[in-house]
Formats: sequence, C-alpha cells, structure tokens
Amino acid sequence: MTDAFAGTKQLLQTTLKHDGRNYAPWIAFATFLSVTSVIVYPWLFPDARDRAMFAGAIGSNPAMGLIFGPAFDLSTTDGFNAWRALALGGFTSALGAILVVTQATRGQEDSGQAELLASGALGRGSRLLVGAGFAAIGSVMVAIFAWLTTILFGGDVWATLLLAATFTASGWMFAGVAAIAAQLGSDARTSNSIAVGTLGALFLLRGLSYSLDVPDWTVWVNPLGWMTETRPATGDHWWPLILAVVFAIVAFGIGYALQSHRDFGQGAIAPRPGPANGNIRSPWRLALRLNAGSMITWTVAFVFVGAAFGSFATSIEDFIGEGSPIAAVLESGMVSPDALTSAFLVTILTMVGIIAAVPGVQTMLKVRSEEIEDRVEPIIATATHRINYYGSNIALAFLTSAGGVLIAGTIIATIATGADIGVHFGDAMLQVLTVIPAVWAVVAVSVMVVGARPVLMLAAWAGIIGSFGLTFLGPSFKLPDWALGISPFWHIPYVTDDNATWMGLVWVAIAGAILVVIGCVGFGHRDLAK
Amino acid sequence: METGNVIEIQNLSKSFGSFQALNELNLGVQQGEVHGFLGPNGAGKSTTIRVLLGLLRADSGTVRMLGGDPWTDVVALHRRLAYVPGDVSLWPSMTGGEAIDLLGSLRGDLDRKRRDELLERFKLDPTKRGRQYSKGNRQKVAIIAALASNVELLILDEPTNGFDPLMESVFQDVILETKARGTSILLSSHILSEVENLADRLSIIREGQIIRTGTLAEMQGHATTTIHATLDRIPQAADLHGLINIRLDGRHLKASTDVDHIGNAMELLAPYGLTALKVEPPTLESLFLHLYETDNDQVNAR
Repeated sequence: MTDAFAGTKQLLQTTLKHDGRNYAPWIAFATFLSVTSVIVYPWLFPDARDRAMFAGAIGSNPAMGLIFGPAFDLSTTDGFNAWRALALGGFTSALGAILVVTQATRGQEDSGQAELLASGALGRGSRLLVGAGFAAIGSVMVAIFAWLTTILFGGDVWATLLLAATFTASGWMFAGVAAIAAQLGSDARTSNSIAVGTLGALFLLRGLSYSLDVPDWTVWVNPLGWMTETRPATGDHWWPLILAVVFAIVAFGIGYALQSHRDFGQGAIAPRPGPANGNIRSPWRLALRLNAGSMITWTVAFVFVGAAFGSFATSIEDFIGEGSPIAAVLESGMVSPDALTSAFLVTILTMVGIIAAVPGVQTMLKVRSEEIEDRVEPIIATATHRINYYGSNIALAFLTSAGGVLIAGTIIATIATGADIGVHFGDAMLQVLTVIPAVWAVVAVSVMVVGARPVLMLAAWAGIIGSFGLTFLGPSFKLPDWALGISPFWHIPYVTDDNATWMGLVWVAIAGAILVVIGCVGFGHRDLAK
Repeated sequence: METGNVIEIQNLSKSFGSFQALNELNLGVQQGEVHGFLGPNGAGKSTTIRVLLGLLRADSGTVRMLGGDPWTDVVALHRRLAYVPGDVSLWPSMTGGEAIDLLGSLRGDLDRKRRDELLERFKLDPTKRGRQYSKGNRQKVAIIAALASNVELLILDEPTNGFDPLMESVFQDVILETKARGTSILLSSHILSEVENLADRLSIIREGQIIRTGTLAEMQGHATTTIHATLDRIPQAADLHGLINIRLDGRHLKASTDVDHIGNAMELLAPYGLTALKVEPPTLESLFLHLYETDNDQVNAR
C-alpha cells in the first residue's frame, strides 16, 4: 500500500466497528422488499387469473411504472420480485452508500474529526478510500442478506442473486458519485444534496424512459437503466453489472483526482468575503436564510418533477385507448374513463406530495441540528420567544412543501389540460390544492418529533415513509381500508366525482393541527441545548 | 428577595436522569458588581447559567433575576441581558458581521458606534464566514454582539476561551468599562488572573453546590500562605510543628501555614539560620487547587 492510502486498513476496521450498524436500515429495507415479495405473491395471487388481473391493474396505472420500472413478467414469483424490489432496493442501497461516503469525507471535515485523523499517520486519500470501502462492503452486505433470506423463503437462487447483485452495483456506483460530490460541495449538506439529487434525477429518468415512448438509448445512458436491463428472472443478463463496476471505479478515480486539487475543509470553489453588516433581524428571516440554499435546489427539483410527471400524464391515452388491456374494462362500464383519469392524477399528485414533504421535514430537522450545534441557544438567550422561533421554522416548512406541490402541480395541470385527456385546468388545480393538507399532516409528524421528542430524530421521517409504504406498497399487500387510511393521502377526494366527501381531508387537517400543537408545547417546555 | 441583588438563586436543584447536576445551589450577584464564578469542569457552572437563561427548567428552588422569573419572564428578561457562551458556534455561511447584527437585533438594540469600535479593538474581520473563523475569533463575535448591546446584566460563560494574551487584556479593559457604565456581570472563567483582576466577589461551585462565596480578600483568609526558605542547617520535618505540606530539597524548604500563624512559623525557622526567605500570600490559584484536591479526595473516598 502506498503512502497516499496509509492507515486505510486500521481506519476502515474502526469505522466498520463503530458505524457499521448505520448500514442496518438499508440492509433491512432491501431485504424486507425482496423477502415480502416471495412471501406474499403466492398467497395473494394463487392462480393465473389473479396474476393476470394484477398485471392488468399495474398496467392501467402508469404512475406505478415511474417508481418500479417496467413489469417484464408478473406471472412468476421471481418476476414479481424483480419488478417490485429492483428499483427501490437499488435506490436505498445507493442512498446508504452516498451517506456513508459523505460522512467519511465531508462530515468528518465539518465536525473537526478529520483534522485529528489527518494529523495522524494517514494518507491523503485514505479517508476517501475508507468511505468508499465502507460503502462497498455495506452494499455487498445488502446483497448477501437479501439473497440468503429471499432464497430461504422460496426465491430462485440465480434470479435472486442477480437481483441482489444489482443492489450492490447500485451502491458501488453511487459511492463513486458521492466521492465526486464530496469534492464539489463545501460542506456535508451540499455534498449530500448533489449526490442524492443525482440519484433522484436518474431514478426518475429511468421511470420515464420505460414509461414514455422514447428511444432505447435513454435507458442505456442511465446507470440505473443498466440495473433494470439485467432483467432478473426474465432473461438474466449479467453483463450490465460489468458496466456498473467500471462506472464505480472511474467515478471514484475522478473523485480522488479532484480531492488532491482541493484544500482540506474547502470545496472546489473558494469562499469570498461576505457583507460586514447584517440585515437578518428576526427568527423568520434567519430560518429563511438558513434554508435558502436548499429551497433554491428544491424549486428547481419541483419544476423538473412537474415537467416529468406532466409529460407523463399525456401518455395516459396509450393506456386507456383502443386495444389496451384496460380498454376492455372500460367497455364493461364498471369504470369510467374520468374516474380512471382522476385516480391517475391523484396517484401522481400523491407522489409529488410525498416528495414535497421532504423539504418540509428537512427544515424541521434543521432546527434540531442547529440545536445540537449550539446555535439555538444564543438565539433563545436573546429576547426571542421559543414559540416565535419554532413557529417561524414551522411556517417555513409548511410554505416550502406547499410551494413544491404548487410548482409541480401547476405544471402537471397545465400539461394535462393541454393533452386532451378530458382534464379541466380548474379541476386539476383544485385537485392539486387537496394534496396540500395531506402534505402538511406528514410534515406535522416531524414538527411533533423535533418539538417534543427530538431524541427520536429518525421518527421525523415516519410520516413520509409510512405514507409512501401505505400508498405504493400497501395495495400489493391487500391491506384493509382502515390501515391504508393511516396515510393522509388516502383521504384525498377525487374532485371530479360528485359523491366525493371532503370530511376525510378535514380530519387530516385536524390531526395535523394536533401534531403541530404537541410539537409547539413540547418545544416551549423542554430543556434546550442538551 | 434582597434588594440590590440582580441574581438571587436559592436551593436550586437540577438533574439529568440520574445525574444530579445542581444540588441545593445558592448564589447571589449584587447590582453593579463583577461576580466571578469558578469551579472545576463539570461542577455545574454552565447548567446554572442555562437555568438563568431559561434554557433549562429548574427541578426545585427559587431563581430570581432582574426581579423576574427566568423561565416565565424569559423574553422580558432577555431584553435586559446579554450572554456569551463558552463555545461559540456560528452559522457556517453567515459572516461574523451578520451574526453580530442578528444577535444584537434579536435582543432589541445594538449600539452601532460601539459595535464598530469593538470590532476595531478586538481586531475582528467581520466579512469572514462563520466556518473560516478560528476558535478565538468565534468567541470575539459573541463578545462583540453582547457588549455592543445596552444591557443591565452580562452573563459570560468562559468568554475568553482561546484568546491570546493581547486579546485577553483588551477584554479585561472592555469589561471594566462596561462595569463602569453600571452593568452587572456574572463571569464564569477558568483564567484565574482574569477573575483576580476583574471580580469584586466570587463564588466557587463544586459538585453542584456553592462551597465558598465572598471577596477575594475574604477567601484568602481561609487559605494558606506559602513559605520558601533557604536554611543553614537542615531541620527534621517532625520538628517543624505548625507547618503543613513540608517539602525539603537539600537546604531549601517549601511549606504552607495559615495566615494567622506566619509569626509562629518564623519563630520555628529562625533557629535553623535563615539565609533567604519568600512569603507568598495565598493566590486564587492555590486556593482553587486546594479546593480541587479536596474535590478529588472526596471523589476517591466514595
């Protein structure tokens, strides 16, 4: 081992020992996805007729394809598992890898830990290599756990191994992406945003490539497309994995080269002197300032999401038109095209809503990280009331998430109206507005957690994870209505339906308000700065 | 409540889980004084200060500050005081100047003239970003924000952490000027010379309780005087009854005695032929170390 990587082995061992458990959630999620597929599939869809109906239902809701990718074959257990677990399992594996690499590089530099390490007998590239090594090993663990447990419950050995290998490959590729992002951003937050943003964009583009009528190369320029093209259980192509390994090595090499060109603790762009005088004079302005960077990023993201989902809305014609599987259902008169369009619109708006809740939750978690870093203490030590401080952040969280829904929703409504699929702009916008109370209820969960029980910081994400799971995975478990109704998005009425009831949304709003009150009371009464 | 006290704490207790941070603590800070607040690490200084700031809620006891209750009258009281934490954390992308103005304006008012004068005296560049400042410079940001406000009470928790001697002397000048304007100051510090120079009275905290309080002179009355002597003949330690902590190094003797017994000590040593003699009055450092040692003894005895 050369000097540039001296000490990597010892540091990696220590990191695995102390932070190894941080990988557990990613391993657990991918394993859970894959194992539940093989358990529930034979049970939910015992015969060929059930399976065909299910395939038809998936085909009739193209919004599902955006997340899960194409359903090559839903008539076998392994085909079902490949459809259900490949995209999301790879996504979580990649997310875990990104967070680990950023923490090992940028995160440590921000906290000062890296300075202690770098002054020891540690090579210049060692910390980056440790991050990548940790992510690489973690990604392999994801595959091993998912593979072994899935074949234990009846999955095919080779098809499942290929599926599990795509989890590892996704992790490796995005460890490489994160290695580059860590050199560009000037702190951990920026680096994470760059890498996770790249992942999100590629994920969405893959969904679009398969769902829209676009040339094949759009799949092949997307590294996540390679993962789908391995086609576990429906062709078993192993060679795209080689592309992934090459991609990971090249990305890491670029990251390493960039690192040797930057100063310790600095980003690619050196900071310039700032203003000598400030104009921030209220907690509200402070909250705005601290979240400004991420708000700009999210605004761009929502324009993109709106355009992507909106262009997607135009393709609904293909699904309800002549000769499509769903056309027969429509002819039977059981379902009207309007109801189908509404269901489709609500599904994509729910997806927009869940994404829009993320910046809201992030804003609330920012309050907690400010508190941990002792920056809330000096604010509360001035003549600023706690509720004023917390309330400003809640208001910003609500505004940001509502803004996200409105930006993406307006674009979707505009495109859908122009697509001649029987959608009126007014109705579509009203439908967009109905999503906002549900988004706020999800954000309110984080308001409660950060205010009343900040130790359970991960629970702040419970609203988002729960809503996502219930909305998109719940139906494949055939969950009863009361369980699906835990998700606030389940209560969104179809505005074009004359029998639509608005009471559900009122209850969602009340529940959200209660959570906010609990959070505010908690923040007003608990010990700060611990 | 006693008149003239800006801070009056009686029987204050606060625990975190099973750890008793403050145990029946009593503390009084008089109007217009600089009150030194000393104690070993983890003794409860910052916890006391955070209760005064309404950041932590007291488990029991009464706390009065500027005639109000720190928990319920939090905003009204905070308009009249300023606080400097011992470990200042700045917003990474915000400049020092912006941070000073933010903290100052959230408190109510900021004396622009004094702000600029302090920037000059502390030699702080206000255009740098929070993440670019060194430890000492981050402290300066908080100190300038606090001192540029017109307040009745300053609460300083180890404010000069990371200062060089030059800045330390600027700080001491500025604090004395602030006191001259009538501001009361609670100064927690580990820099004993700083406390000796600035404090009118001081309180020493150990294991969540105030164990000594008073002026420096009063404290020194409790402490021992150190004697350094060079002798012609080497005495037997057992013969030097009345001296404590005796250390003999050849003809050099170092020992301690109570302030009241210095005369006796001289009589004891004279027969051995004094060739050199130095008598050190008790310093705050020796007093503090003495209390530290007692602290350790108690910990070990448990």
